[in-house]
Amino acid sequence: MRFELEEIVIEERCRQSALAVRVVSRAPAAVPIGFIADARDAIRPAPGASDPFGAGKRRMVVMERRAPFLMACPAGSSEFACCGYLVLVLASNCPMDCSYCFLQEYLADNPSFQVYANYAGAFDELERVMRRAPGRALRVGTGELADSLAFDRMTGISHDLVEFCARRDGVLLELKTKTDEIDNLLGVDPRGRALVSWTLSPPRVFASSEKGTAAPAARLVAARRVLEAGYKVGFHLDPVIAYPEAERDYLALLDDLFDAISPARIAFISLGGLRMTPTLRSAARRRHPYDPLLCGEEVLAPDGRYRTFTPLRAALLRALERRIAAANPAITRYLCMEPPSIHRRVLGRAPAPAAALGAALAGR
Amino acid sequence: MSDDDSANAVRAWADAHHMERAHLERWLALDAQSVAALLGAAVHLRLRVGQLRRALEMLEEIALVEQTQAAAVLARAPLKRILEGVGPAPARARAFVEELRAMRFPRMGRALERIKAEVAALGLPRAIGVTLPRDLGSDELRIEIRVRSAAEFKESLQALAERTERMERILNLLGGES
Repeated sequence: MRFELEEIVIEERCRQSALAVRVVSRAPAAVPIGFIADARDAIRPAPGASDPFGAGKRRMVVMERRAPFLMACPAGSSEFACCGYLVLVLASNCPMDCSYCFLQEYLADNPSFQVYANYAGAFDELERVMRRAPGRALRVGTGELADSLAFDRMTGISHDLVEFCARRDGVLLELKTKTDEIDNLLGVDPRGRALVSWTLSPPRVFASSEKGTAAPAARLVAARRVLEAGYKVGFHLDPVIAYPEAERDYLALLDDLFDAISPARIAFISLGGLRMTPTLRSAARRRHPYDPLLCGEEVLAPDGRYRTFTPLRAALLRALERRIAAANPAITRYLCMEPPSIHRRVLGRAPAPAAALGAALAGR
Repeated sequence: MSDDDSANAVRAWADAHHMERAHLERWLALDAQSVAALLGAAVHLRLRVGQLRRALEMLEEIALVEQTQAAAVLARAPLKRILEGVGPAPARARAFVEELRAMRFPRMGRALERIKAEVAALGLPRAIGVTLPRDLGSDELRIEIRVRSAAEFKESLQALAERTERMERILNLLGGES
């Protein structure tokens, strides 16, 4: 895949870093490369830009991360069933442009595509966490504030990350993506400690709402390739968007998935309905005014987010859950950012505590 | 009325109703036929600015989802009946916005009607109120009992107990089980 880049900015203090050297050597010739003393000046919204968030996606900033790399998943909340995902922030923002993406709100104030040259510091943080909680199975991933593999062709971070995790017990690395940028992964043996997960959407959603991503069929081909290379694979049907033909299309998507990947070899499938805070909804509609899938039957839910009205959302998620269970009841399934009552209605049981689910997923 | 006249009339309406500039711009961004058709509805039904804003938003969304124009939506029979009907303008304005909402949320409307019918069929005593979640935004049913004596309380509990299965059915509908 080739993503659009208009500019690369490198923080002076990172000029000699391995990451900056790789990025400079692999950058397309037409993309100008500049240097800046303090990259924090380069990550803010471009003044005067009609779409500062979109402009940020096309500006890569190689910089030092000043904050911790490891954080709890921002989707986690006591209101929802949670999967205990720990986020390693090695990059921020994403060159793809999904109309429903929460980053449109979350990164509105610092939209430039940031890649952190001191990412080895993340390994130290992870070591410390593992030392503090010996025996605890951790599931960590880089795919929350960025796509784990977008631009990996230029940054090569995934290789170092997989190598690091492959040498440690008790940690499962999850690389979450909508790309088919897997070539760097194929050259390293994950030794069972790395999983690649794809967000899957029906072709209708891909065409309408997932600009710049790999086509659903290409994601499945990539999944099969990494599986053959020794990686585990998981899938996120999230967000499930409840347009009128959604049930038919998502069930067909699951059929395609199970045709491509044996259900016995799928580590997990997560499900989650479309949800948007009012701010995100406004931003998404402003940036993607012609995406009809942003105009579904969403209503304001008790948690302050717009969600598909409950009977429809629950019915749709339950239909998908049944198809997955029919394919293989042993596939771990969980819901993301859904309240416990929906969890019970869809999965037929109360949600497991976050740590327990996280450990279970890490152990698979 | 020419397109320019129509746009000027919309500006005048917006000015008279202190409509925010952003909403005026959205209105004028519609195709010319839709600009005029919505103005016709606003004048004819004496829409308040809040009603106009909601109508505009729903018209934009319906038009986008159905790949049509706002004017075509406004020409549909249920809305035309309201626009051409008789009766007090405020009531027709409310009906107009409600009808647009039914078009914008068709599946929710059907689900809500079905659940409301189930609630009505319970035939609960007046002391017991059943409130559905707003816009079916959750699966929580609120049941309120208003009593002034132990006897009324017992009667109410008895009435509910006798309807347990049908209550369960309503709760299942709220959870998407038909």
